[in-house]
Amino acid sequence: MLQRYAPLFMPKTVAVVGASSKGNALPNVFIRRIREFGFAGDIYPIHPTAATIDGIPAFPNLAATPKPIDYAYIAVSAAQIPAMLKVAAGRVRYAQVVSSGFGEVDEGKELQQQVLDAARAGGMRLLGPNCLGIYTPRGKITFTEISPKEVGTVGVISQSGGLGTDIIRRGLSRGVKFSGLVTVGNCADVTPSDLLEFYLADEQTEVIGFYIETAKDGRRLFEMLRAAKARKPVVILKGGRTGQGLAAAASHTGSLAGDDRAWIALSRQTGCVLVDTLDQFIDTLLIFQTLTPQPQHPTKRVVLFGNGGGTSVLATDYFARLGLDVTPFAQPALDALAALKLPPGTSITNPVDCPVSTLQQENGSVAEKILDEIYAKGKPEALVMHLNMSAFAGRTPPEVIENVLKAALRVQTHYPGQAHFLLVLRSDGDPDLEARKRKFRDSALALGIPVYDEMSNAGHALAALQAHERFLHTRGG
Amino acid sequence: MTGVELIAAARKAGRASLDELSGKRLLAGFAVSVPKSVMVADAGAATAAIANLTPPFVVKVMSPDILHKSDAGCVKIGLQNSDQVEQAISAMAALPAIKTARVEGYLVEEMAPGGQEIVVGAVRDPDFGPMIMVGLGGIFVEVLADVAFRICPITRLDAGEMLDELKGSAILNGARGRKAVSRDAIMDVLLKIGGEDGLLMRHAEDFKEADINPLIVSDTGAVAVDARFILV
Repeated sequence: MLQRYAPLFMPKTVAVVGASSKGNALPNVFIRRIREFGFAGDIYPIHPTAATIDGIPAFPNLAATPKPIDYAYIAVSAAQIPAMLKVAAGRVRYAQVVSSGFGEVDEGKELQQQVLDAARAGGMRLLGPNCLGIYTPRGKITFTEISPKEVGTVGVISQSGGLGTDIIRRGLSRGVKFSGLVTVGNCADVTPSDLLEFYLADEQTEVIGFYIETAKDGRRLFEMLRAAKARKPVVILKGGRTGQGLAAAASHTGSLAGDDRAWIALSRQTGCVLVDTLDQFIDTLLIFQTLTPQPQHPTKRVVLFGNGGGTSVLATDYFARLGLDVTPFAQPALDALAALKLPPGTSITNPVDCPVSTLQQENGSVAEKILDEIYAKGKPEALVMHLNMSAFAGRTPPEVIENVLKAALRVQTHYPGQAHFLLVLRSDGDPDLEARKRKFRDSALALGIPVYDEMSNAGHALAALQAHERFLHTRGG
Repeated sequence: MTGVELIAAARKAGRASLDELSGKRLLAGFAVSVPKSVMVADAGAATAAIANLTPPFVVKVMSPDILHKSDAGCVKIGLQNSDQVEQAISAMAALPAIKTARVEGYLVEEMAPGGQEIVVGAVRDPDFGPMIMVGLGGIFVEVLADVAFRICPITRLDAGEMLDELKGSAILNGARGRKAVSRDAIMDVLLKIGGEDGLLMRHAEDFKEADINPLIVSDTGAVAVDARFILV
């Protein structure tokens, strides 16, 4: 099975249809991008008349290339494509049709069927039409301008091309690293469940994300996810969930059924995590990428630690609404923290609210003593450390935040596997502060710590991790 | 008749759904309890026909033209003896709505003992295939839409989680001084309908929608008192 997908994720020969001899069409950009990205295989521009495109020898059609084609990127007008694929029978493994004007509009439905028939008859798999391309760092292919070269562990399938680009770009700035991202558009042939099959088997992929509008072969998707028993976390961003009930229901049940009910059912039965926004999608992929689920003791007790009283109170409410338990410590932990004799203004009950004046003591290493007692006596399953960088700015030496962070990491190593550690770096948009935050974020991510912009982001991600752990706890294996 | 035969007969008769008696026979074929019943042609035939049934009785008119029986005065409950059954049938037969309808007969059933009303439903989702639903009866379903859906087939674990998911699930445990009802009995019915070898998996292509409404659940068992199966 993995073998079947190798020509898509690691092609050796790539044909590009639609590049112009003047060098400014989308396919020309694609050629430039994959060369810049380091693609070292053969590139075959396809052009009816030109001898070369961007300095590369061109060929008149898909049957005329020196070697068979692993991956063909096709961006010409829809009406030309069926005939083009017929000519290429037996010579193309994967054809990605970027062009639109097919099944997404009424007049293109017939044309989409013709493209599909030509692909099937010619023994090729069809991606799209109406999509943007594939990003596969291991194969050095990308459709988007900013594409990290590092091969990560998150595999994504997106039914929207534009959103696929957003996922890569926003994911990059938050630390998500991809094993692949395929935009599948109208899914005339290759469906989300086909790629799920690949990602489940692919050793490089540890976390799977979907942006889905219509399931296509939903039954197969359900059965595949059910059989997988959430052994890899699957995060689903579902578009079009608000449709209410069947259009012409003849029963109570029919009037109550709707798309949302089906996807909620799917998530309950298969352990997938459903999210509502692009940000939640990225945040959730990040937590699964960085933290190891603990099905033996699913996350329950959460300790909030940081500066900002109001922030702590609001976060406690928010976390509680997400089903996360932020209850005050029992007496042993309270006694141990009280014995540290922290300055007035410090609240030690959980949430643990330490103003900057407390955190800057001992140049920031006081955090180690506090956290040590929290881990030893409070025994949380997760600790969310939040630092309001604005409150530190101008009041403390620059190394204080760094020392607080280092202290937290040292405590983590004293209690291996005890608690998930999440970091929230809060800022106010000030450019200097944002630049510092960027640096902290990068160094924390390099150590495998998920970093979030706000408490609510961290809360949603942690709730998703909790749901996944609970599913594995009751149904895994 | 088997389920396949019941469905074939309904299709042959040009019906869009199974009539109540066929629906209950289908359920009985999957070991879901339904009330003991007989069909009678008219009031005069009732007394002899119901000799083996235990009162109290319920009478319902059976007509392909009348879909919402309770709205049209076409259901009478709490009948204590055969005289009352005969009177009820005669009175129904005189109703304008029934006079003008094609009447196939009158269904006389043993009335199920009281309990918590539950709705068990089904839909065929265009993407995922058969789905099963459960909710508490009355306003919980009709006003609050407090229901849980699952894709078939479900497991016993799924069935339990469906009940836990209902906002009103505490009612099953006996809220407000009422007796707790049998969760096991509800889960049994959910599995007989939506389980691996259940009705919906065996008839995945046959039904567009279905309502078992109500399923009356006591502390020991569950009885399907009304059932509608809409054919694809």
